[in-house]
Amino acid sequence: MTQPTHSSSTGSSNTHAAVSARVPLWRDVVVLKWVTQVALLAVVLGTMWFLASQAGDNLRARNINTDFDFIERPVDIQLGEGIDTHPDTGGRALWTGMVNTLRLSIAGIAVATVLGVIVGLARLSDNWLVSRLASTWVEVLRNVPLLVQMIFYFSVLTTLPRVGLDTGPINGWLHISNKGISMPRVFIADGFYQWLVVVLIGAVAARFVHRRRTRIHDETGANTSPMLWAIGTVALFGLVGLFVHPAFSWLGGVFGAVAELLDSLPVIVPQVVLAAAAIGLAARWILRFLAAHRSARGHLALTDDDWFRVIFTAAASLAIVFLVVRWTGLSSWILNSGRDLFHVIEAKFDVDGAARPFDAMRPDIVQKGKFPNYGVNGLTLSLGFAAVFFGVVFYTSAFIGENVRGGILAVPKGQTEAALAVGLTRGQVIRRVVLPQAFRIILPPTGNQYLNLTKNTSLAIAVGYSEIVQVGTTVFNQTGRTLPVVAIWMLFYLSCSLTISVIVNWFNVRMQLVER
Amino acid sequence: MSELSSTTGNLEVPYTPPPVTPKLPPREWIRANLFSSPFNSTLTVVSGLVILGILRGLLSFLFNPIRQWDATATNLRLLMTQAYPEEQYIRVWVSTAVILILSGLSLAVWRAGSAVPLSKVGRNLVATGATMALLTLLAPFSASATVQWLIASAVVAAGGEGIRRFSAIRSGSVGSAGSVGSGGSSGDDGRTVTTLTLLGVALTGLVVSLWVVPYGHHSFILDRTPRVMAEPGTVAMTTKLPWTVMLVILVAAYFLGRSLRDRLPTNATRATLLVSWLLAPPVLLYLVLRDPSFDMGHVLGTDLPIFGAYAVGGAVLLSWLTRPTTGEVGRIVAALVLIVGFCLFLQPMRMIVRIDMLMLACFALAAPTFAGGQRARRRYVVGWLGVLGVSSWLITAINTPSTVDVPGDFFMGGLSLTLLVAIFTLVVSFPLGILLALARTSTMPIFRLLATWFIEFVRGVPLITILIFFSIMVPLFLPRGMHLSELAAVVVGYSLFSAAYLAENVRGGLQSITRGQHEAAEAVGMTTGQKTVFIVLPQALRAAIPPLVGQCIGVFKETSLLAIIGLFDVLYIARAVMPNQTEFMGSTRENVLFVSLIYWIFAYQMSKASQRIEKRTGLGER
Repeated sequence: MTQPTHSSSTGSSNTHAAVSARVPLWRDVVVLKWVTQVALLAVVLGTMWFLASQAGDNLRARNINTDFDFIERPVDIQLGEGIDTHPDTGGRALWTGMVNTLRLSIAGIAVATVLGVIVGLARLSDNWLVSRLASTWVEVLRNVPLLVQMIFYFSVLTTLPRVGLDTGPINGWLHISNKGISMPRVFIADGFYQWLVVVLIGAVAARFVHRRRTRIHDETGANTSPMLWAIGTVALFGLVGLFVHPAFSWLGGVFGAVAELLDSLPVIVPQVVLAAAAIGLAARWILRFLAAHRSARGHLALTDDDWFRVIFTAAASLAIVFLVVRWTGLSSWILNSGRDLFHVIEAKFDVDGAARPFDAMRPDIVQKGKFPNYGVNGLTLSLGFAAVFFGVVFYTSAFIGENVRGGILAVPKGQTEAALAVGLTRGQVIRRVVLPQAFRIILPPTGNQYLNLTKNTSLAIAVGYSEIVQVGTTVFNQTGRTLPVVAIWMLFYLSCSLTISVIVNWFNVRMQLVER
Repeated sequence: MSELSSTTGNLEVPYTPPPVTPKLPPREWIRANLFSSPFNSTLTVVSGLVILGILRGLLSFLFNPIRQWDATATNLRLLMTQAYPEEQYIRVWVSTAVILILSGLSLAVWRAGSAVPLSKVGRNLVATGATMALLTLLAPFSASATVQWLIASAVVAAGGEGIRRFSAIRSGSVGSAGSVGSGGSSGDDGRTVTTLTLLGVALTGLVVSLWVVPYGHHSFILDRTPRVMAEPGTVAMTTKLPWTVMLVILVAAYFLGRSLRDRLPTNATRATLLVSWLLAPPVLLYLVLRDPSFDMGHVLGTDLPIFGAYAVGGAVLLSWLTRPTTGEVGRIVAALVLIVGFCLFLQPMRMIVRIDMLMLACFALAAPTFAGGQRARRRYVVGWLGVLGVSSWLITAINTPSTVDVPGDFFMGGLSLTLLVAIFTLVVSFPLGILLALARTSTMPIFRLLATWFIEFVRGVPLITILIFFSIMVPLFLPRGMHLSELAAVVVGYSLFSAAYLAENVRGGLQSITRGQHEAAEAVGMTTGQKTVFIVLPQALRAAIPPLVGQCIGVFKETSLLAIIGLFDVLYIARAVMPNQTEFMGSTRENVLFVSLIYWIFAYQMSKASQRIEKRTGLGER
C-alpha cells in the first residue's frame, strides 16, 4: 500500500482526520514535511546567528564601528562629477553617487533601447551587408566582457587631444577632448513646473479625445487615427502652455497648505493609516484566496501549503501593525519628509511670472589657472561617464538586438500571410500585426536587460566615474564603515531593481493577450 | 493509448529535408541581396562605407608603428601564468598535457566533428584570400609589405580554388566554375573532410610556423639590471619544443581513443571520462601545480585512519540502508546520523572528522532513494567511497604548505587564474543552483520562501558589491583560528551569485516538465526523491541546456571583475601591471585589446558549441 499523501486526503477535513489517526506520527507525510522545514529553518537561522555573533566579536576585537553616523558626519571627499562635488557629509556623498548612477542608467536604457532595436531590425534586413554588419556587432560585443570593453574605450578616450581655448569639431557647439565631450544642453528652468501642470491637463484632455476618436472609429469604421489626435492634443497644450503657464503659480499656495496640514497632523494618524492599510490589504488577499479555493458547492479545500500562505499573510500584516505602533519614529519620519517634499514643491512654484519653462546653453571653455577646461554651461560627458556609457549601451544593445530579432521571428508566419491575404499593406502588416505580437515576446527579456544595465553601471568603479559603488568605496576607506556602506549599496540596487521590475511588469500585464 | 499510437504514427513519416534554395550566380546574388530596391541600394552604399571606415580605422590602429605589440609578445607568460617559477614550469606543461589527453580522448569517444564538403572549404579559402587582399589594400602598409601580403592572399585564394577544383573533378561533376558551386553544396556527391581534420591541419600549421616563421624572440632577461630582449629570429626553444610535444600528445590521445572506443563499453568509457574531467581541475591544481609537501607522519598517523574508519563504517551503514527491505527504520537511523553529525559539528575537534560525519549523514538520508538490487547498492557504496576519498585528500592537500615559491597570495595568476576561478565557481554553483531551483519549486512553503528570497536578493544586486563584500568582510565572519584566503572567499561569493542565476535557469527547465511525468512516476510507486532524481531532473536539465551554457559564458566573462578587487587575473595584468613596466609605459590599449581577443575566442567557441548541442539534441524543435 502506498503512503497516503496529504494532497490526496484533503477532499474534506473528515477524511484527513481519519487518515491521520491511522498513520503513526513518524510516517505521516505532513508531519515529516513540517518537521524537515522547521529543522532547516532552525539550521539557517542558527548559522546566521552564529556568523553574526562571530562578526560582532571580531568587530569589537578589532575596534571596527558599524554605525550609520557617517551619514551625518563631515567627510573630506572630492568627487569627479555630480550634483555636489565637495559633499559636506557622507550621506550627501552617497546621494551624489546615487544620482550619478541613476543618470547613467536612465540615459543608458534610453539609448540602448533605440540602438538595440536598430541592431535587431538590421539583423533581419534583406540586405546582406547590413545584416552581416549587425550580426558582427552582436557577436563581437556580447562575447567580450563589459569591463574589458569599458577599459578599452576609456584608454582610447584618454588619447584624445588636450582641451584648448578654441578646439572641438564645431567650436562653441561641440568639443571633444581628453576632458570629455561637451555639447549644448537644454535644461528645465524656473517656469517648468507651472508648464508641467498645463501639460498634465493636456494629457487628461488627450485621454478624452482618444476615447472619442476611437468611438467614432468603432461606430463608423472611418480611419480616425486616435493616437495621432491624442499626441496632437498634448502637443497643443504644451505649446499653449509656453505662454499661459504663469496662470498656475497659485498652485504653490495649495502645496504649501498641504505641507502645513501634514505638519499639524499628530503621529497617530499615519500610524492608523498604515496599520489599517496592512490589515485591509492582508484581509482582502486572504478573502480572495479563500474564495478562489472554494469549490462550486462551497467546500473549502486547502492543502497545508495553502494554510501556510494564509497564516503567513495574516502574521505578516500583524507584524507590520506591531512595527508601526512600536516604532513611532517611522511615522514621524513619513510626516516630516512629506512636509518637506510639499515645501520643496511649493518652492518650485514660487517664481516670478516671466520665468521660462526651458532654457538652453552652449558649451564654454574657461581658463582657471594654467590649463583651460570646460565651464559649467555645456552638457559635458566626462571621460569616465563616456566610457561607461558607451560600454553599457553597446553591450546591452547587442542583447536587446537579439531579443528584438527573436521576438519578431517568433511571430508565426501565418499571421503575416493572413494579414496580407485580407489586403493589408506591408507597412500595416508590420505596424498592426507583427509588432504588437512581437512586443509581447520582446518585453520581458528586455526588462531583464534593463536590470542588467543598471547593475552593470557599477563597473564604473574601474574607470573612476563617481557612481554609488565608487563613492561608497571612498567613503568606507575613509571612515572604516564597510558594513553600513555595503548595506546601503544593496538597498539602493534592490530598490532600483524593484522599480524597474514593477514598471516592466505593468507594461507586460497591459500588453498581455486577453484570452477568452 | 491513442496518444501512443499517434506518436508512433508521427515517427513513421519519412523525414523530408527542407528544399534547398539554389545558389544564384554572383551577379544575380548581388542584385537580389544588395541592390533589390533604391532604399536597399542606399543602405548597401552607406553600410559599405561604414564598414570600410571601421576596417581602415582598425587596421591603422593595429599597424601603427607606435603600437607596442612587443609588450604583449614579451609578457605572454605573465599573461598566462603570472609569476610561476621558471624551474618548476614543467608542472604547467604537465597540466596542459593532461587536459589535452582528456580532450583528445573525449573527441574520439564522443565522435566529435562533422563532415564538411571539400568544395565548401575551398570556397571559404577563396573568400579568406579575397578578404586578406581587401584588408591589405586598406591597411597603411609600405609598398613592399603590401606586395608581400597581396602575394600571400593570392596564394591562399589559389589554394582554395585548387581544392575546389580538385573536389569538383574527383566527385565527377562536370561543368564550369560558375555551376560547380551549386552542385557541390547541395548533395553528398562532393568529397568531404571532417572538421577534426581541419582543426588538426590548422593546429599543425600553427606549430610548424613556430619553427619556420621568424616571429622574433621576446623575453625579459633577469640580470642585475632587468631588461627586455627583442631580437628577430624564430621562437625560443622553451616555447616551440613544448608546444610541439603538446600537439603530438593531443593527436596521439585522439588516435588512442579512436582505437579504444570500439573495444570498450561506450557508456562506461564516457562515464570514466566525465569523472576524469570533473576531477582534473582539483587534482591538477592541488597535486601538480601547487606541489604540496605532505607531512607523511601526519598523513599516515591521522588522516588515513580517519578515512579508513569512515570508509568501512560508512560502507556498512550505507549498504544496509540501501536494502529495499530496511523500511523506515533506515530513515530513522539516517535522521539519527544527521543529529549526531550536528552535535559533532558543534564540538571542538578535527574539522575533517566533522565534515566527514555531515557528508555521511547526507548520504544516509539520500540512501532510500537509491535502494535497489545488488548492483545499485554496490554503486552507491562505491560513490560514497569515491566522494569520501577525494574530499579527504583535498582537505589534506589544501592544508599542506606548497613548495612553489611565488610572491603574493596565490601561486598562479593571469589566464590560469581566470580559468580556475570560472571552473571552480561553476563546479560549486551547479549543485547549489539545482538545490535552490528544487527548493523554489517545492511544495514546502518554508523551503520555497527561503530559496525565493535568496535568489531574488542576489539577482537584485550587482556582482561587484558581492565580491567587494566577500573579499573584505569574510574574515570578520569566520570563527577564530579559521582562515580563508581572499581568493577562496571571492570564489565562495561568486558561486553563491552564480547559483542564484543557475537556479532560475534550472527552474525554467523544471517548469517545462509536464504534469504527466510526475504522475507517471508516482503511479509506478517512486518516492519523491526517486521521482526527482531519475525522472524530473534529467529532463529538466536537458531542456535547460541553452540558458545554462549562456550562464557559463556569463560566469567566464565576469571573472574579469576580479581585476577590480585587485586579484591578478588576466585583465589586471594587462591593465595595471604591464603598462607600468618601464619598457612598455602606457601600453594599455594594446594589452586590453589582446585580452579581449582571448575572452572573445573562448566565449564565442562556447556559444557555438551550445548551438551545436541544441541542434544535436533537437532542442527547440519539439
